[in-house]
Amino acid sequence: MPQLTYLEAIRQGIWEEMERDPTVFCIGEDIGIYGGAFKVTDGFIDRFGPERVIDTPIAESAIVGAAYGASLTGMRPVAEFQFMDFIGCAFNQIVNMLAKSHYRWNAPAPLVIRGPSGGNVHGVLSTRQNPEAWFVHTPGLKVVCPASAYDAKGLIKAAIRDNNPVIFFEHKYLYRRIKEDVPAEDYIVPLGKARVAREGRDISIITYAAMVHVALEAAEILAKEGIELEVIDLRTLSPLDRDAIAQAVRKTNKVIVLHEDVRTGGIAGEIAAIINEDAFDDLDGPIVRITAQDSPVPFSPPLEEYFLPKVSDVVREARRLKAY
Amino acid sequence: MIAITGEKKYMAKKKKAAPLKARIGHSSNGRGEHAPHSSITSSSQRTYTIVDYRLEKPIFNIRQVRKGDEVRYEVSGEVNAPVPPIRESKYLDKKQSLEIYRFMLLNRKTEIALENLYKQGKVVGGVYFGLGQEACSCASAYALQKDDWFGPMIRNQGSLLVRGFRARDIMMQYMAKSGSPTKGRDGTSHFGDIEKRNMVSPISMLGDLIPVLAGVALGARLQGRSIAVMTYIGDGGQSTGVTYEGLNFAAVQDLGLVLFVENNLWAYSTPADMQFRVKDLAERSIAYGIPGVIVDGTDACQVYDAAHEACERARRGEGPTLIEAKMMRMKGHAIHDAADYVPKSMFEYWRKRDPITRFENYLVNVKKWLTPKENENLIADVERELEGEREFALESPMPQPESAVGGVYCDSSCHEVKPKYEAPKTRPKVSGGPKETTAAIHFK
Repeated sequence: MPQLTYLEAIRQGIWEEMERDPTVFCIGEDIGIYGGAFKVTDGFIDRFGPERVIDTPIAESAIVGAAYGASLTGMRPVAEFQFMDFIGCAFNQIVNMLAKSHYRWNAPAPLVIRGPSGGNVHGVLSTRQNPEAWFVHTPGLKVVCPASAYDAKGLIKAAIRDNNPVIFFEHKYLYRRIKEDVPAEDYIVPLGKARVAREGRDISIITYAAMVHVALEAAEILAKEGIELEVIDLRTLSPLDRDAIAQAVRKTNKVIVLHEDVRTGGIAGEIAAIINEDAFDDLDGPIVRITAQDSPVPFSPPLEEYFLPKVSDVVREARRLKAY
Repeated sequence: MIAITGEKKYMAKKKKAAPLKARIGHSSNGRGEHAPHSSITSSSQRTYTIVDYRLEKPIFNIRQVRKGDEVRYEVSGEVNAPVPPIRESKYLDKKQSLEIYRFMLLNRKTEIALENLYKQGKVVGGVYFGLGQEACSCASAYALQKDDWFGPMIRNQGSLLVRGFRARDIMMQYMAKSGSPTKGRDGTSHFGDIEKRNMVSPISMLGDLIPVLAGVALGARLQGRSIAVMTYIGDGGQSTGVTYEGLNFAAVQDLGLVLFVENNLWAYSTPADMQFRVKDLAERSIAYGIPGVIVDGTDACQVYDAAHEACERARRGEGPTLIEAKMMRMKGHAIHDAADYVPKSMFEYWRKRDPITRFENYLVNVKKWLTPKENENLIADVERELEGEREFALESPMPQPESAVGGVYCDSSCHEVKPKYEAPKTRPKVSGGPKETTAAIHFK
């Protein structure tokens, strides 16, 4: 089986969908001859032509608005944000045009908005944020955050086939750092379903995107001390897999929620509330949140390292929770 | 230097449009073919042409002036100028003109009915009027064909009627009834129809319809169709960034967007003089590289002619047109707003230019396409129709509370998404996926 990076898996997924379905097209900045700032669409314009791989002016609200308009005629656009941080420039189009389209006036908006998010890659501040919570909070949108190359391909394909607007956050730290077996054929990973990345019996850690790998690394360390972590990779943040969350609590009775996004208003709070509603009686200890601190993402590597959740944070909190 | 010409057709350059087949696949970065009509003279000057079809070109200035304890708006300009005639249309025949006139009457009377419903306490929220703007709403939409799309703004109720919605639909929206096009989920003109009437639902934010309609044209083009898409923006609304982004995108992609900039002189309480520095909003077209046209928004013939020519351009794949329609908003921003801030002389000036009165006079007295009796019958017929619509709307029940649930997402059982026109043509399939990429990574 071919080994693909996370980025290559996304690339292959979009390519396959464009081959399979002539209504799928790409739109964004520098995605044509340049192949995209991160090369996700490298080679696409040669294969599919400039009519289906459209370079736009620097105008995010036009990118999203035009993609939405095209979707009203039955096309399935894949709109790229060069950095997901720029999603603020199209915020009104996303939350007021797209998200409400089906509920308000019965018009589906089958488009995907995708791009790189996340930090630990030493770029400037407005290129490393994790803005997913703004969109999890907006009814009508779906939000997806893959953590593995296999899932990245399956989820982008599922997102493209979905009739709803999907915001697809690709963690740029994972783009070339993870490489795994990815089937060359057609398969999808369903939206709205979490997966168990690692089984364990002591503490469940619910997480997503790059933090899944932080959790897995911590799990190796903790295993040597006899603490077995169960790692749940949410994969989709909206809709959340409530069953998987409840099941994780039922299995181990102790839960850590981990995300790279900042603390206040981050999705860990939402998950904690869900656990309270669905699995309170199964808890043997408080729900622990491990998140970034409440500040903008600092630039200098030692500052960013302090800001982000680390393997040592997970190890420390797991030990504390185990002893509770 | 900008030259505003009256009589010269802005289509002076008779360029044969490239056939659609050749256009698809060409890099849209190639320009020059459809640039605004400019000439680079041998000196260091460049001139542009903007066509102005109006038979009068008033210049008003509105300033904030202190008068004792108060600050008020004052207008200067020729407020007593006589009303010009309707400019004869190049395209409209008798039947079409009468149809447009009827839609304008229906537009006006629907809004009167809405106002009465509001006063009877039957409307949820406010009411927005397009009084004085009926010629623009109706005559513009009349130029659209079946496969074209439109995205109206709140004062373009007339365009909804032209495109096949009924007065009852508008009334039920305002009354939040279960029979409304959104089943009570949204109000006023915030509804649409992707199946038949090809209408994109507006939202309250201004300018956002522009990139969306551009995208509709893009989607159609990918399906091998070159359609016209029409939307509107006000003198106030065109100040937003998304207006620029959307129109610029349409221009650079040569999408068939017909944009009516309805300069009705007031954006809520803010006069046009405080909204922009250009003399005429049509001048903005130069900045986008598209043709700009000025029409009298109270003259249905001028509006139709400009709309017709712009739609034809659009369908030929020649890109967007910006049409500035000049008129005035004859009521406040919404029903609660008495518009006391508008100098009275301006109301007087524009009242004399009521689009329905002007068109009626043209049809009855100038073209003699309607006898006074026929006109009377027509008006009575419209009123009868409206009465029926009003009854229907009133009798529609309020929605069941539980119907608030559901429809947030589209699942596979509720809609089948498929191309509206045709399946897009693609290049022949090749085997194998993308080749491995070894390019450098970008971390900004």
